[in-house]
Amino acid sequence: MRLSNLSISNFRNFQSINIPLAGNVVLLGQNRVGKSNLLFAIQLILDPTLPDSARQLKLTDFWDGGPADYSAPIEVHLELSDFATDMALTALLTDFRAPHDPTIAQLSFVFRKKSDITGAPQSSADCEFLVFGGGEETRSLPSRVRRRIAIDLLDALRDAEGQLGNWRSSPLRPLLEDAVSGISRTDIDAVAAELDKATKTLETFPTIKTLEDELRAGIVHLSGKAHDIDARLRFGPTDPLRVFRAIAMFIDNGKRGIADASLGSANVALLALKLAEFSWRRKKNERNFSLLCIEEPEAHLHPQLQRSVFKKLLGSVDASQAMIVTSHSPTLAAVAPLRSIVQLKNQGGATQALSLANLPVTPDEIDDLENYLNATRAELLFARGVIFIEGDAEEALLPIFASSLGHSLDELGITVCNVGGVNFRPYVKLAEALKLPYCVITDWDPLDGSKPPLGRKRTIDLWQDMLTVRGQPLLTPPQLAKWEAMDHSAFSLDAAKAHVFLNDQTFEVSVANTPSLLQPLLDILSGQDFGSVRTARIAAWRAGAAVDPAQLLAMIANIGKGRLGARLAKKAAGLKPPTYIESAIAAVVASVAHA
Amino acid sequence: MPSDRALIQALAELKTNPEQSDAVVQTGHCVVLAGPGSGKTKTLTTAMARVLVQDVVDPRGVACITYNNECAIELETRLARLGVTRGDRAFIGTVHGFALSQVIGPYARCVSEGLPLNFGVATRLEARAAVEVAYRNAIAGADDPHRRWEFATEKRRHDVDRTRPEWRGRNPELATFIEAYEAELRRQGLVDFDDMPLLAYRMIKENVWIRDALRARFPVLFVDEYQDLGHALHELVLLLCFEGGIRLFAVGDADQSIYAFAGANPELLESLTRRPEVRTIRLRFNYRSGGKIIRASLGALGEDRDYRGVDGAPEGDLSFWHVPYGHDSQAQAVAETIIPKLVAQGFELAQIAVLYRAAWLGDKVAASLKNANIPFVRTDTNALVRRSSRLARFIEDCARWTTGGWRNADPSYARLLSQAITLVYGRHASDREEQDLSAQLMAFLNAAIGSTETTHAWLQRFSRELITPWRQVARNSEQEWDICGEMIANTDPTRDLDFPLAHFAGRIEGSGRVNLSTLHSAKGREFDAVIMYGVNASDIPSERDKRSPGSLREARRLFYVGVTRPKKHLSLVYQEHHHSPWVVELYQRSQQD
Repeated sequence: MRLSNLSISNFRNFQSINIPLAGNVVLLGQNRVGKSNLLFAIQLILDPTLPDSARQLKLTDFWDGGPADYSAPIEVHLELSDFATDMALTALLTDFRAPHDPTIAQLSFVFRKKSDITGAPQSSADCEFLVFGGGEETRSLPSRVRRRIAIDLLDALRDAEGQLGNWRSSPLRPLLEDAVSGISRTDIDAVAAELDKATKTLETFPTIKTLEDELRAGIVHLSGKAHDIDARLRFGPTDPLRVFRAIAMFIDNGKRGIADASLGSANVALLALKLAEFSWRRKKNERNFSLLCIEEPEAHLHPQLQRSVFKKLLGSVDASQAMIVTSHSPTLAAVAPLRSIVQLKNQGGATQALSLANLPVTPDEIDDLENYLNATRAELLFARGVIFIEGDAEEALLPIFASSLGHSLDELGITVCNVGGVNFRPYVKLAEALKLPYCVITDWDPLDGSKPPLGRKRTIDLWQDMLTVRGQPLLTPPQLAKWEAMDHSAFSLDAAKAHVFLNDQTFEVSVANTPSLLQPLLDILSGQDFGSVRTARIAAWRAGAAVDPAQLLAMIANIGKGRLGARLAKKAAGLKPPTYIESAIAAVVASVAHA
Repeated sequence: MPSDRALIQALAELKTNPEQSDAVVQTGHCVVLAGPGSGKTKTLTTAMARVLVQDVVDPRGVACITYNNECAIELETRLARLGVTRGDRAFIGTVHGFALSQVIGPYARCVSEGLPLNFGVATRLEARAAVEVAYRNAIAGADDPHRRWEFATEKRRHDVDRTRPEWRGRNPELATFIEAYEAELRRQGLVDFDDMPLLAYRMIKENVWIRDALRARFPVLFVDEYQDLGHALHELVLLLCFEGGIRLFAVGDADQSIYAFAGANPELLESLTRRPEVRTIRLRFNYRSGGKIIRASLGALGEDRDYRGVDGAPEGDLSFWHVPYGHDSQAQAVAETIIPKLVAQGFELAQIAVLYRAAWLGDKVAASLKNANIPFVRTDTNALVRRSSRLARFIEDCARWTTGGWRNADPSYARLLSQAITLVYGRHASDREEQDLSAQLMAFLNAAIGSTETTHAWLQRFSRELITPWRQVARNSEQEWDICGEMIANTDPTRDLDFPLAHFAGRIEGSGRVNLSTLHSAKGREFDAVIMYGVNASDIPSERDKRSPGSLREARRLFYVGVTRPKKHLSLVYQEHHHSPWVVELYQRSQQD
């Protein structure tokens, strides 16, 4: 089974969000954007430990922008799918199938004004909550569903030692109890006797004995004889039934307690224990599905641990368990499976949710994107805008060009994404899905003119991708024919509207054709110790002859595009970029400012 | 949910009977052929409890389908003793209840069966009107539409799968009639009782996922009284169990098949036993009746069976009462001679039953008993409490609680509340709905404790304080609220029909009340002494019975059902020189060893 959709309306930060989900979820977003509220919304439906008094929300829980009379109800709907292969889960959920699709179970929470209250409710008492399934209010969700499909909140990563140290709350407890139940009474008695012996030995040491006597006397002095609690110094309880409660986890070959471990290691131990507890509960048939929620683990885990732990946890697919991790850590986001990512963003007073669960990309494209995000520490996911470019030369020059135009990309939160070629499509789909302002800077690539320029098809493909992600109708054959027939200048004008900015040749040729950049470019070429023919050509270009693209590119090939870019970057400070790049930067800066 | 201890004890109790023990541990398809008094219900309930503990893991459960609500209530009571309660893990109910609550209710809105979300169940009047409209539209003949509808009903119950050629191949004009009738009901957003299993069958057949969902919830299906359940259930069983992977545990006795008029056919049960994947187990011991009565019953049936009594059980005795005149004088003999004689022999009134073919005969017996001042309780269609009505049984339970049951939780309030919730809301009710319902119910029940309200006044208050508000909020599509009105009319003090509430609740002094029952309603019950009233040549078999060999067999099975009810004593009452021919066979067989 997996979580396949969550929708929330009129609740706290959320006016109305609908999030497709793909199993595990990594919930990214700034502080106060509503990550915990989203988890709480799911708890309202699934948490078996949440009392009714908590489900009876407050008027302040309504979304602030809603109607003042609270006439719009708070609603949470969670959809579960792929449960048909598990007979126990099917038995639990079959009554709650969605009318539009019987393979999906829909569970809902609604909080609303009671029907017999006229006018605006005065307090929470004028409202009622319902938890039901199948989209029908009358099908109330029995508590056994919550008990067997349960949510567990691990905000306690903040206090791993405390949780591990407390017998009642320790996830070690049920596991130990189970393990101990397999030991015969005789064997337990033997252990208890050994412990008792060790304790007696301890008490024979005079200093210990003295300390114990002093403490006992102190207590009796305070409480009086009638209330003497008979305090003793012990290794552990020697009652055979309680003896195993003294068992604790030790690290470093038993030398140190878990409390002495670094914060990170204790947390990893806690997580591992929690997962062991879940599988134990399933084995005992107490539970059929566990949803584990971990809030901001980065605050309590080293980056290296974050990477290795969550790569394992999020990457594994387990039909009987799912995980929701909230985070603003790029380290964690970088190892998250792409489809698990859900981003929360505040827009105009309400939080929007952007999910990559249904991103229309192929498995190969997912690999590309995940590798890129991993290598760049998921910078893209946290950017406010992005400029996609083809290669190293542009990567080196773009920040310089922007600053020539008076913009600091870093300060604006605009990232430059080098796709290393011309396959922009998965990246554009990603940016569209994240509603991230972006532009694509790419070459027209007219080749030798005998075939259609490559830039045209590339642009049209991106356009179609954009429409696909937005859920809009694709370009029709007549529209396509119109774009096919256009020349470069007309086409590039319209392409810019679709965020694609084209030159008329290639990047290097555009640089050469930009008056302010020609001199620095020629300076770099001159420094190459070319032969007499090339030196003469450079001199001619310097004198004003038109630059021949083929010959220019041949020279650049000798240097390497990347190195040329790097060298040019050093000389280009304050110089205006080629026009199409200027337009691209201006467009992204404007949309970032607007957003 | 069932406790291991109760189960272990129940299993131990079966040890002395190898066939019963064998049946309850089966893990494949199993059919148990169970003669009268053979411990059928015990076997079924023990098997069900065992499966819930040992074979089926929570949250999955089992379903048990039986003939009517009376049987369902009996099973629930017996299962409760084994720790199995009706709820999410155990469905216990009729085939209609199963179709409605487990198939149509949850899934109709996911498939296109043309049912509105809040469909209702047609009343008798609505159904009759729809028959007339359909007859006009589809046949437009000059016959009585309702006479034709009787044939159509038979076809409708028989040809369950309408994709088979028989549907249009045989009597196509009836098929058109039926379709027009159903279309007329749907137009009004209604279904009728016969629709329920048919709709469920169609939905399950056309949607494999529904089959899988049912298997997820109920990996084992129990069917009680298989011989009484018609073609619709049989087709459902074939689909779910032999194509859908659900395990079947069916119990029945073809000799006791007496519901042909409702579409039952003993051949369906027999056909199951011929399937190679089914293990058939016959229970041979009759724990109920004395040896002489067992032999007599085989004479009544006219066929031989290897049934045997338990060693050491008393033989039992037979009496033949020939009365000079017809029904009235036979009823007088029952009241003035036979019952006093049985009482003199030490039988308690509550352990004596007078059985007859039809309710109008019951009226005659009732009148005679009233004259003779013998208390009685009727369980036929003219009974005050309809035993197959869940509402009527609930009202009776409420009376029992009020008149003393509250002291020792018999019945428990929890059970009353859960009955009320089912009656009003069906399967799902929110916490708040439960609380509101409980508040109303407790207020009503408490008010009558220690009061001197008569049954009539109490029922009126029941109607006013409970039925009226419940009707408004009810979501159960199988509603029978009018039953309470009928009960109020049947206790009218101006017609001298009213009596104390304690009496209604069955709490009366002395040795109880004589049971008056039709043969049909007596099925599944047992008494120390049974008086078969009106065993006349013209009554059983009647002229109507003799019209076809099938109906003659059915009448004989009905006679057999009556004869197999007593434990110790059987009396047959008939007009002198005018006895049923089967009485002779019964007598002769009883004299053999």
